[in-house]
Amino acid sequence: MPQPLRAAFLVLMLALLPAAGEAIYFRQQVSWKQRPKADEVDVRTAQEWQALWLDARPGEDFQREHAPGAMPLNAENWDELLPDVLKAWTPGRKLIVYCSAQSCDASREVARRLREEAGLKDVFVLTGGWEAWKTEHR
Amino acid sequence: MSLVRGSSWVARVGLAGVFLFAGLIKVGEPARFATDIANYHLLPWSLGVGLAFYLPWLEITSALALFWRKATKGSAILIALSVTVFIVATILARVRGIDLSCGCFGHAGRNLSFAGHLALDFLLLGLALFLLWLPEPATDR
Repeated sequence: MPQPLRAAFLVLMLALLPAAGEAIYFRQQVSWKQRPKADEVDVRTAQEWQALWLDARPGEDFQREHAPGAMPLNAENWDELLPDVLKAWTPGRKLIVYCSAQSCDASREVARRLREEAGLKDVFVLTGGWEAWKTEHR
Repeated sequence: MSLVRGSSWVARVGLAGVFLFAGLIKVGEPARFATDIANYHLLPWSLGVGLAFYLPWLEITSALALFWRKATKGSAILIALSVTVFIVATILARVRGIDLSCGCFGHAGRNLSFAGHLALDFLLLGLALFLLWLPEPATDR
């Protein structure tokens, strides 16, 4: 094999190592199976918005730690928590819901109920959830 | 410094600068880059995710390898191939009426026009081919 091709092959292989490390590091944030739905938003984009953040995890997880300014809104205490959320929300402001990680489903459920039951439109789910948020802020 | 060696240096610095920037700005944003790749509608999602992890590091490694004398031409081959693939993908997307942001420079490139992207790509391709064309001693230093 000519020397330049050998070098090219070596560079291709060298790039695999950090890429594999990154893939392991971000394994909870990116789904390999399916593209995020249109209503999903990644952490960096979400932070550029002046959105209202909603924590769909269980109350004790929210008490332990949550995104700055986030409000709790989960299925267990929906009726008690929703009025405060609606009070804090202003028309035109986006809502971002997160649960613990990419694999959890609570944020999707809360987002669905906000759209269907509360009639809100700009409701987004945070890709990778709380784990992605923490990774971004380490 | 001879003209050939000087121009080789300029070409390597130019290519390395662009590729380092393009790679570094995408590392750590695999979800966003995977979506940018998916917007071309050329690859299945899972392959796009793999590329979203791999391509930024390939760009960084290729950029650095330009300054490793034994790997300069090999790196120029990789850069020429990747830029060619990107040019073809961009034109294909355009022909099919897909309006997209290439994602090559993360958020930094979102305001670059289609013509601007192509002009930059052909410039990069030209620099890579120039390095391949140069006699071995010129890329050895």
